[in-house]
Amino acid sequence: MNKPQIDTAKEPTASQRTLVLTPLQDLSGFLAHHIGRATLFAVACSSVVAVLLIFLFVIKEALPFLQTHSIGDLFSSSAWYPEADEPKFGILALLTGSVYVTVAAIMIAVPIGITVAVFLSDITSMRVRNYIKPVIEILAAIPSVAYGFFAVLVLAPWMQNSWSFSTGTNALNAAIVLSIMALPTIISVAEDAISAVGRDLREASYGLGATRFETIFKVVLPAANSGIVAAVILGVMRAIGETMVVWMASGNANQIPSPWWDLSQSVRTMTATIAGEMGETPKDTNHYHSLFFVGVTLLVMTFMLNLVSEYFLASAKKKTGK
Amino acid sequence: MKFSFRYIQDKIFTGFATGAAGLLVVVLLLVLTPMVYRGTKAVVFQGTIEYRKMQLDVFGRGDIEVIATEKAKAQQVRDKLYAMIEGFKKGLDVDVLSGRAKNIYRNYGKEIRDKELASEEFRRRRELSRKIRNELMTAFSLSDKEQIKAHLDNVLGYKDNTDFEGTSAKDFFALAEEFSEIVENIDLKRRKEYANSLGEIEGAVLKLLGPLPGDAVPALVQDRYGCTRMDMAKVQIDRVLYSQRWVSQANNDSLVKVKISRVQQFAGTEMARLFDFVENNADAMLMPKSTFYWQYFIDDSTAGHYFGGVGHEIIGTLLLTIVAMLFAFPLGVISAAYLVECASDGPVTRIVRMCINSLAGVPSVVFGLFGLAFFVLYLLPLMGALSKGCVLTASLTLGVLTLPVMIRASEEAIRAVPKTYKEASLGLGATGLRTFVKVTLPAAMPGILTGVILSISRVAGETAPVLFTGAVALGPLPKSLFDPARTLSYGSYDIAVGDRLAMQVPHNQYGMVVTLVLLIIVLNTAAIFLRAKIFKKLKGL
Repeated sequence: MNKPQIDTAKEPTASQRTLVLTPLQDLSGFLAHHIGRATLFAVACSSVVAVLLIFLFVIKEALPFLQTHSIGDLFSSSAWYPEADEPKFGILALLTGSVYVTVAAIMIAVPIGITVAVFLSDITSMRVRNYIKPVIEILAAIPSVAYGFFAVLVLAPWMQNSWSFSTGTNALNAAIVLSIMALPTIISVAEDAISAVGRDLREASYGLGATRFETIFKVVLPAANSGIVAAVILGVMRAIGETMVVWMASGNANQIPSPWWDLSQSVRTMTATIAGEMGETPKDTNHYHSLFFVGVTLLVMTFMLNLVSEYFLASAKKKTGK
Repeated sequence: MKFSFRYIQDKIFTGFATGAAGLLVVVLLLVLTPMVYRGTKAVVFQGTIEYRKMQLDVFGRGDIEVIATEKAKAQQVRDKLYAMIEGFKKGLDVDVLSGRAKNIYRNYGKEIRDKELASEEFRRRRELSRKIRNELMTAFSLSDKEQIKAHLDNVLGYKDNTDFEGTSAKDFFALAEEFSEIVENIDLKRRKEYANSLGEIEGAVLKLLGPLPGDAVPALVQDRYGCTRMDMAKVQIDRVLYSQRWVSQANNDSLVKVKISRVQQFAGTEMARLFDFVENNADAMLMPKSTFYWQYFIDDSTAGHYFGGVGHEIIGTLLLTIVAMLFAFPLGVISAAYLVECASDGPVTRIVRMCINSLAGVPSVVFGLFGLAFFVLYLLPLMGALSKGCVLTASLTLGVLTLPVMIRASEEAIRAVPKTYKEASLGLGATGLRTFVKVTLPAAMPGILTGVILSISRVAGETAPVLFTGAVALGPLPKSLFDPARTLSYGSYDIAVGDRLAMQVPHNQYGMVVTLVLLIIVLNTAAIFLRAKIFKKLKGL
């Protein structure tokens, strides 16, 4: 390309510079644009690749186990003795334990979480909100091992001494700490949903003479219901996937609590079993593959829950998106 | 009527909701306060002379001469204590006393043999001394005061016997007199009780002051020193002063811990003085000084975190975090850029978004399994490295885990850049890529940094993913990316439930977890402030 001779003292004028790109420039620009896009797309797909790899490799390690055991047997027995002479791999009690502490935690966290979400969106001033928000963020940020530490060294001895439970590390302890951990998730998602309901609906309700209580319970919460359901599901996911707290606080006794309402018994969850036993299991044994199978179960459960929550979040968006 | 009910209902609900929000604050304080309070004691405490000795031996800190003079001064007071215990023990132990009697008998036997007496005379004297010895030994083994007295009187009856003039048999009578004095002071019926109690006291003193100067140096570091901190010393002093028994209560079955003062137990004996001595001279024996142990954050620790700090754990955590962010940061920012700038609302984008959300929902322990199966067992052998958990595998696992956090934060930050910036740049003729790199990205950088900080705090706190992918509880500093590392998160778990030795040092247990929590709270507070500042700036535009 010929460079036009320019007098350095003078600014180049429009007539001296060609505004039309040469075909080469045009092509290179076109290629750069598309190659750039393709590269960006490829990198953006890293999450997809990661999810696929997770499924692929966890299932791959679990498969040898399924060759020798049938799924039906696994879910119908609660005998988990992987290292016995005659090893038994019934994960019913583990599954029950996971669901048990999760449900207990959600029963505590949901009423409190939604009330706080309502408080933040409808009741309090911006100033108080600015103080509460960081508190929630810090609660969310405290690492799970620190919560587990709190459960074992502070909550457990206190329960044992002042409530005279036979052991401080039990389902209730795990449920309380899990509920604290699930609260930030529930609050932030529920608050988004409640705030998204909009002023007009609220003002219509107030205009008809309703009190704040009536407005919230009869107008705002019903309007935000799918977002709140999503919040609860995300809270469940947080609780069911949590490892360190349940491992440290639930007592790790492989049993289905009986009577079923007795929260002071020790239980054992799927996550805690993986965390506790994987370190001591030799590779390529049945026990090793069985732990991966537990992992697959967990993965499938959370994946399903995630799809359901996505559905509810999408429908919440549609509802308020106008 | 109806209205007032509705009014009250409304007010009650408002109060209830305020209470729920207050509860959050209370919960945060309940979780943090006891931890931080006890964790601070790992750094700020009353350090004893034993602490300074330990610092000198293990970490080479402190002035040797100053510590030596302090040590000598403390030793003077300690010697008195040891002498008291020794003195009491001497009078109490049947074996020791009998041994002394036997010794005297043996020496006397040798003496008279050397005198070359007639064999009959020799036998008579020998017989007599044996009788005295046996009398003494019977006296030692008895517990009734009167009976002992009778036997001792028998012995002392031979005192003026001319046979023993100028021989070592005199020692028999000295011993008998010594013992009769002990009998006066100590109730020998309780000899066993005394011996038990004395054993406990000796154990506590050993823990309090460390091994005796003459003893061999114990193999384990934690046994080489007495109490290094006054709060631990107080526990041992309490053990010296009181015996603890579990007593069942009258009305129910539960056992209650009762402290019984040993002063009463040893009342009337010489030992009674010891308790006052220990109580009044604790400071002289231990020389406590207010200590600010800032090196806690850089020191290595001895086995079970008994002494030392969390330096290696901090280095390991930082290493894991940096490598994980080197992986997650570019991927996260580019993914976010694609999602904001290029992606249409088609099915492909929806799948990408769904995968990001799924990734965020995968339980952390499953990330651990994935890291083990993919990075450790598949990728490392592929790279020709040894298939064991190491810094690289743990970091990559954490990187994948934090990818959704990174993407979401970056996406939000890029979206928050005002459209006018972009339009101005495009209007000047810049290409889309150029606009993004030169205009949008710099403007979004503070927001992206917020995301980085939040990701770091997530990465630093995660334990389950690194359990099988490269975290260890004990071990040297990693020399390369292919060595395992200690981390604060795994260390906190291990020190709370995994390690028996660590149970004895609660300050170190709490110190480790508080270091982790404070690190994360500082990071998060920084992120909150940064975000507030950006929010203000963007709003002002």
